[in-house]
Amino acid sequence: MKRIALACLIAALPASVLAQDFSETSEARSWNLFAEQPARFEARVVDLLCEVTGDCPENCGDGVRQLGLLRAADGALVYPNKNGQPAFTGAADELLPFCGMDVEVDGLLIEDEYVGATNVYLVQRIRAVGAEEWTRANAWTRNWADANPDADGDGPWFRRDPRVLALIEERGYLGNGMSHEEAYEVTR
Amino acid sequence: MRYLTALFACLVALPAWATEGERVQIRGEIIDTWCYFSGVMGSPESVTGTAHHTCALWCSAGGIPVGLLAEDGTVYMVLRIEGDDGSASGDTQLRLAAHEIVADGILYQRDGLNYLVVEEVVEDLGITNQSHLDFGVVPPFAIPDPSGN
Repeated sequence: MKRIALACLIAALPASVLAQDFSETSEARSWNLFAEQPARFEARVVDLLCEVTGDCPENCGDGVRQLGLLRAADGALVYPNKNGQPAFTGAADELLPFCGMDVEVDGLLIEDEYVGATNVYLVQRIRAVGAEEWTRANAWTRNWADANPDADGDGPWFRRDPRVLALIEERGYLGNGMSHEEAYEVTR
Repeated sequence: MRYLTALFACLVALPAWATEGERVQIRGEIIDTWCYFSGVMGSPESVTGTAHHTCALWCSAGGIPVGLLAEDGTVYMVLRIEGDDGSASGDTQLRLAAHEIVADGILYQRDGLNYLVVEEVVEDLGITNQSHLDFGVVPPFAIPDPSGN
């Protein structure tokens, strides 16, 4: 009976108490973020909506859904919010080719109790477990360019994205209907 | 064998909280979670509302997850809105960037994060947080110089 109680006690401990250090073999590049921790670990790539609610379409939703990492060491569901590009770009595109696979990832974990961030991740590179070569998590802008061949012009993708441009045209840069000139002046 | 028996007994005894949802109604702002969680652009307050509207559009279109920032400061990671499961760059969440809404849906909690499936946007109050009055525009380059300089 004592052993059952002990097993229950361990299972009931908060994840933070059992937290492991995933930084030892990480080669992640720092972004100089306040709460970043290098983290390299093995995990299964999962469709987050499927994992949380049981609504599970084919191929992790084919790219429309956010994907998660079910960490092998402790079963924690890690949420990759960001890919490796400094370009306002998420991680789902990078993980989709690995849907349902066991992978190794390297990147930065964000743990900041003040804002409620835990198990939030920036993924920099991915490889299937056992594979030699890493894939850098920087495919998003290339995928965007392939999907938007008519979005010509200068500047990065976010200055040329048709949906973003349409919404800025509709509501202004501040979202409050101010003209471009007004918005620029009031925020200087 | 004793340990396996103990583990099984423990698992059976534990509540199934991890997979069961709870109906909730939450009022809050649709935010860009990466900027809010990471602090990459500045303080949490500066990456909400009008100040961050353009960046919130960029991040939502770029596939960064959106969240619902409740009035008490809790962040709910939004996985679906009214039947649209496009949580990675979807149209519904993009149109709601920086909007204050009242959401009715199902809350799930897993490993320290709150996940929200919005079944109905009960109210869409539009962009109500005039944060540019305090913070200008975040990041500063979000509004290009209209003179072209």
